[in-house]
Amino acid sequence: MGTENCRDCESTAEAVERLERIYEYLDGALSRDDINDVQDHLSDCPECASDYDLECLIRSVVKRSCTEQAPETLKLTIIQRISQIKVEARH
Amino acid sequence: MVLTSMNVAVLDRPAKDQVVGVDSAVMSEHTAPASTLSEEIDVAAETEAARRTRFEREALQYVDQLYSAAMRMTRNPQDAEDLVQEAYTKAYSAFHQYKPGTNLKAWLYRILTNTYINIYRKKQRQPQQANTDTVEDWQMAQAAEHTSSGLRSAEAEALDHLPDTDVKEALQQIPEEFRLAVYFSDVEGFAYKEIAEILNIPIGTVMSRLHRGRKLLRNLLSDYARERGFRRPEET
Repeated sequence: MGTENCRDCESTAEAVERLERIYEYLDGALSRDDINDVQDHLSDCPECASDYDLECLIRSVVKRSCTEQAPETLKLTIIQRISQIKVEARH
Repeated sequence: MVLTSMNVAVLDRPAKDQVVGVDSAVMSEHTAPASTLSEEIDVAAETEAARRTRFEREALQYVDQLYSAAMRMTRNPQDAEDLVQEAYTKAYSAFHQYKPGTNLKAWLYRILTNTYINIYRKKQRQPQQANTDTVEDWQMAQAAEHTSSGLRSAEAEALDHLPDTDVKEALQQIPEEFRLAVYFSDVEGFAYKEIAEILNIPIGTVMSRLHRGRKLLRNLLSDYARERGFRRPEET
């Protein structure tokens, strides 16, 4: 997070805090007021906007890379294993 | 390269108006839709065969997802398969305790995670707390600064084209507690509260693990991207 163009991000600590704000924004964890604040800030601050873009990119790359397919036999093995289980407890 | 246009659409969960506050659960967007069938199930009166059918229909659809998560935990296909099998076996044995209509995917993930912690981590004999405590604040600050100094368009382009293996490797390099939180959030789209339940930790801890994990991951990925960028300068 840069310091040159961003009036709100004057120190490293503030930059870290601002980045965490972007995380929470993307996580859908902010209140409506906070969302508005972040959006206002992003439209004013190219440095934070580029951090936001980068964070979006990272998330899409991680998501893309971690989607795997289980071996075809796994489902069958599971079905077989649970068919041998007799569940006693009932409530 | 204009990042703004290429990324935002890929994300499936931008902050939306309907989400208010961390503690108020934030679930609506992330939660798997509850089957209307299961809401009508009388679990107590259900026969063994009916329950097994219901389990196979509802729970087994998550096999690929649980397997992917298990791969991030165990790091190898055979252990991942064993882990998923074990987790499903436990889940089936406890299925009468699962409340129909609640979040089945999160319930399965919790069982998977517990199974992993109880069996595999014990087997690996890793000290449980070491990871979290060794990542110091200065490393976090450095991670933030490192990125600021410069992952710019060429590197971002390289990052966008990073091979999956690099991304997985970067994920494996961050401490496990952080890795799982980031994985559950970014890949599975679980809300903080759901991650808290899966990992059995407070929401505040989820947030700090996510923040730390993301900064470390960002740092590592930018290193990989730079490396790739330099290796193939013709692409920049």
